[in-house]
Amino acid sequence: MRTFVRTVLEQGPEEVEVQEAASGFDALRLLPRASYGLVITDINMPDINGLELLRFVRQGPQHRDTAVLVISTMSSERDRERALALGADVFLPKPFSPEALRDAVAKCREIRGAGGARPEVT
Amino acid sequence: MAEAGDRAREEFFSETQEIVEGFGRDLLALDEAQRAGRAEPELVNDIFRAVHTLKGLAGLFGAARISTLSHELEELLDDLRLGKVELSAEVLDVLFKSVELYSKLLQSEKEGTEAPGGEVDELVRSVRRATGGGGAPSPFGQYDLDPGLLAVLTEYEEHRLRSNIAQGLSLFRLRVVFALATIDQALDDLKSLAKPLGEIITYLPTGSGADADSIELDILIASRAGAEDLVRALAGKGVSVEEIPRHGARSTPKPSVAPQSKPRPQLPPSILAPPMEPAPDSESAPDIDIARAPDSDNAALGGVRNPAAAQSLRSVAQTVRVDIHKLNRLMNIVGELAIVRTQLARLVERLRASQSDRSVTTDLHRLQRTFDRHLAAMQQGILEVRMVPLGQVFDKLARVVRQISREADKSVNLVITGAETEVDKLIVEELSDPLMHMMRNAIDHGIEGKAEREAVGKPTVGTIALNAFQKGSHVVIEIEDDGRGVDTDTLLQAAVRRGVVTPEEAPQLSMREVLNLVFLPGLTTKANVSELSGRGVGMDVVKTNIAKLGGVIDLTSETGIGTKFTVTLPITLAIISALMVRCSDRLFAIPLANVQEAVVLDSGSVREIDGREMITLRGGTLPLCALARLFDLPPPAEEGGDIAAESSARAQLPASSIGSGSSAKSRWGNVARTGARTLRQFIVVTSVGSRRLGIVVESLVGEQDVVIKALGPSLKGVRGFAGATELGDQRIALVLDVQALVEETLASSERRGFELKGGHG
Amino acid sequence: MADFVRARSRVGLTRRGAPTDRGPRTEYLAFRLGEDVYAGPVSLIREILKPPPLTPVPRAPFAVMGIVSVRGQLVTVIDLRRRLRLPEAGPTRRARVLLVNPTGAETLGLYVDEVLQVYRLADSEIEHAAAALGGEVAPYIAGIARPIIAAASSQSAGQVDASLVILLELRSLLAS
Repeated sequence: MRTFVRTVLEQGPEEVEVQEAASGFDALRLLPRASYGLVITDINMPDINGLELLRFVRQGPQHRDTAVLVISTMSSERDRERALALGADVFLPKPFSPEALRDAVAKCREIRGAGGARPEVT
Repeated sequence: MAEAGDRAREEFFSETQEIVEGFGRDLLALDEAQRAGRAEPELVNDIFRAVHTLKGLAGLFGAARISTLSHELEELLDDLRLGKVELSAEVLDVLFKSVELYSKLLQSEKEGTEAPGGEVDELVRSVRRATGGGGAPSPFGQYDLDPGLLAVLTEYEEHRLRSNIAQGLSLFRLRVVFALATIDQALDDLKSLAKPLGEIITYLPTGSGADADSIELDILIASRAGAEDLVRALAGKGVSVEEIPRHGARSTPKPSVAPQSKPRPQLPPSILAPPMEPAPDSESAPDIDIARAPDSDNAALGGVRNPAAAQSLRSVAQTVRVDIHKLNRLMNIVGELAIVRTQLARLVERLRASQSDRSVTTDLHRLQRTFDRHLAAMQQGILEVRMVPLGQVFDKLARVVRQISREADKSVNLVITGAETEVDKLIVEELSDPLMHMMRNAIDHGIEGKAEREAVGKPTVGTIALNAFQKGSHVVIEIEDDGRGVDTDTLLQAAVRRGVVTPEEAPQLSMREVLNLVFLPGLTTKANVSELSGRGVGMDVVKTNIAKLGGVIDLTSETGIGTKFTVTLPITLAIISALMVRCSDRLFAIPLANVQEAVVLDSGSVREIDGREMITLRGGTLPLCALARLFDLPPPAEEGGDIAAESSARAQLPASSIGSGSSAKSRWGNVARTGARTLRQFIVVTSVGSRRLGIVVESLVGEQDVVIKALGPSLKGVRGFAGATELGDQRIALVLDVQALVEETLASSERRGFELKGGHG
Repeated sequence: MADFVRARSRVGLTRRGAPTDRGPRTEYLAFRLGEDVYAGPVSLIREILKPPPLTPVPRAPFAVMGIVSVRGQLVTVIDLRRRLRLPEAGPTRRARVLLVNPTGAETLGLYVDEVLQVYRLADSEIEHAAAALGGEVAPYIAGIARPIIAAASSQSAGQVDASLVILLELRSLLAS
C-alpha cells in the first residue's frame, strides 16, 4: 500500500517530497524532526493505532495545523466517526483508486493550505 | 509503458502468492490452536490483514473475482476478530477452502483462462452462511478507564478489551519512556517480557514527558497475573505498573514503581485492589478464546510440527523474492565462466610446459587458482539461492490431507518432520503433484475406516508421517502410513489378468518386484479400485514425474501394518559433475553420481547370456550396453578404404570380436573391413540404486562440471537423455539419463530372456 | 518508371496501376526449400541465424535435425524439408535457421536452404489452399500466392522462380 500511495503522490501535478514511516513508532520518530504539510495514515496498525497517532499529531503545537488524511476500511463506521472527531481532515475508505487519493489530497490542501513533505504510515 | 505494466503484474502475482501462502500457514496454526483449546487472536488478526491486503491488491489490478472473494472473507474475518462470530469447524472449513480457491483464481489470472466463477459464488454463499448469527458483545465500563484512552481505541482494540474483561482479567497501565532512537528494540524487549503475562491491547503516546528524542507511552495490558508479578517481570525496564480499578473497589490504586524509574515518589510495591471476581455477566460473548472443536466424528486433522521448524517457517526473516528467470540467467553466466576457467587452466599448462618466463607463469598460476576458488564459491552461492525449504510443499499437503480426510470420513494425524530441508526451487514446484497423489492414496486406500481400525486394535486416528532429510547429495522424502498395507495378492492377480505377468512367473516374483507392480500404468482403473485395495491410481504418473526430476521412488509395505514410500531426489538439477565420453565423434556426459568406475573393454571377456551381453567384474555380472548401437550412431571414421593408414589420427574403431556367436559380432557396430587395428573401447560402470550397467564408449575424455539444461518440449518423447550441456564454442553434449538406460537395457533383455525361456525352455 | 522499391529489405508486391487499397496486408518472409519457395508470416519469425554448430539427438523424431545453442539457450532445430517430405539436399552456404515460437511454448529453429525476401500480401492476393489445389490439403498450408512482378531488388540474386509462393501455417506445422 505504501509504495502505491507514494507512486500516486509522486506522479501528481506538483512537486512533493514523500517520507515513509514503517510503523506508528517510526512516524513518532519522524514527526518531531520536521514540519509536514500532510500526514497520511491507516487506522489499524499494530502497536500504536492511527487514532492514537492522530491524537498525538493534534496535541503537539508543531503539527496542529498539519492536514491529516486517514485511510481505512469502511466497515467500521465507528472508527470513521472517531477519526473525524479527533481531527482528521479527510477519511478515505479502502479500496480506493489513484484518482480518489488525489482528490482526497487536494481536499486536504484546501482545508489547510499548501504544504511540503508528507510522511505516510501504513 | 507496457513493460512497466507487465512488471507490475508480475509483482502482483508474486506478492499475492506470498500472501496466500502466509494465509495458509497461519490457518494451519490456527486450526491446531483451536483444537488445543487455545485462543490466538493475533493469528486471526494476521489472517484478517492478509485478506484485507489481497482485496486491495486485487482491486488495483482488476482481478475482480479475487477482489470479491476477499471482500466477503474480510467481513467474515472482521466479525471473527470482533467476536461476532465463533471460530467453528465450519468457519475453519470455509477459510481452508478459500485458500485453495485463491490459488486457483491466481492461476487462472496468470494463464488468462476462465476463472472458476461458480466456485467463488458457492464459497461466498458458505461465507455468508457462516457469518449469519453471533451473540451481542457484552458491555464493559465497570473499569475506571480514562475516557481519553477509550476514545482512541479502534473498534478492534475495543473488542479485545471487552473479551479480556469478559474473562475476568485485570487491566493494567504500564507507563514507560523510550528513547525514539532505540524504541523498536526496547519495545520488542518489553513485548517479549510482557507477552507471557497477558495481552497488550494498545500503545498510547501520552504526549507529555516527551522531548524530541524520547516519548512516553501508556501501554494497556490485560493479564491474569497480579500487579506484583508484572512489576517483577518488568523490573529494571523503567516501567511503572498501575492497575486499573474496577468499580466497587474502594481503595484507590497506588502505582507500583519498578526500581530505577524516573523520579517518582517511591512507593512500596503493594497488592492493589481486592481479589477480582470473574465477570458476572450472564450472557457471555461467543468468544474466539473459548470455542471448542466439535467432537471428533468430524475428522480432526492435526498438523504437528517441530516447534522449532514452525517458528522458522512463520518468521519471514530477511528474505528477498527473486524471479527464477533471473536466477537461470545467472546460472548461464556462471556456466560460461566455468568454460573460461577450463580454457584458462589449459593455457596456464601450456605456458608452464613451454618454459617461458617463470615468474610470470607462477603468478598466473596462482591467479588462476584464486579465480577457481572464487568461481566455485559463486557457483555454490547461486545454487544455494535457488534452494527453498520443502515446507512450502508440505504446508500445501497438510491442507490437502485435512480436506481429503474429511471427505473420506477418516481421522488422520499428519506428522511432519524436516520441513526445513532445502531443495532446488524447480524441483519443489514439480513435487507437489506427485506427493499429493501419494497422500491421497495413503488416505483413500491405506488408512482404514475407524471401525476397521478398532477391530484390529489400532488407534482410531490413523497416522501419516511425512519426513524429509538430506542424505549426501540427495534429499529423501518418506511418506509412511500405519494403514492396511498393499494387498499383494490382489495386486498380483490384477497384473496376471492384464498380462503383465504370466501365471508361471507370478509365484517367483520377489516381494520387491510385486510391490513395484504398483507403478505399472493401467494396472488399476477407478472401476477396479475396490478389488485392488492397494495403491494404483496414477502411481505410474508419479513415478514418471519423479524420474523427470532425476529421482527414484521405492516402496515397502507390510500387510496390516502399513506402507512406506521413499522418494530420493538429487538436491539440485542445475550443475553436476560429469564424465565426458566420446562415441562416434560425439561427446556425451554421464553424471558422475551414477558412475562407479571405468574399465578397458576386453572383448574376449564378453559373454552373452539370455540375450544380454555381459562381463564379469569383481565377481559380479555386469550387463553391457553399447552407446553407438543403442543410439544408432554412425561410424566415426571414414567408411571402407584404407583405414589402417589413417587411423593414427583417429582413435575410434569399435572392437570387433566377442566370445560367442557370429550374430553377436555385428551388434558391436561396424567392423573395419580391413581388419585393421582394433582400438580400445571403454566400459563406464554406472549404477542406479542397486542396479548396474556397463556403458560401452570409445574413449574417455575427462571429468568436468556441467550445467544441465533441459531439452525442449519438442523432444520430450526422446528417452535416454537428462538434458544437454554447452561446452565452449556453442558445441553441445547430450547428458545421459542413466536410469532410463538401465531400465531400457534390462527391460528389453528381460523380455528377450522371457521369450527365450518360453520358446525353447 | 514508378519506383516500387521501399527502404531496406522491404519489397512491395506490385500490380500495375496506382496502388489501390486492397485491404490489410500481411508480411511474409519467403525462403527456399529445395526448388520451391515457401513463406511464413514475418510476425512469427523472431530471428534469422546462420546455422550454429548442430548436435544431432539420437532417437529424436524424424524431422528433428538436432539442437543448437543460441546465446546460452538450447533450441531444437527442425528440418523443414523433412517435415514437408521434400527430397533432401546437402547443406548450402546460404542455409539459414529461422527462430520461431508460434505457440509461445517453445522457441524452435527452422532450417531452410536460403532466405529470399519479404512479401507484403493482401488477403485478396492469396488463393486459399483448398480452392487452389483442390480437395484435401495439409492443414499447414495456409494458401498460395502468385506475385506478379518479382521486385527489382530482392535479397537473393534472383535466380529463383518466385512465381508461386506456398504460404505455411506455422502453428499447425509445428504442432506435432
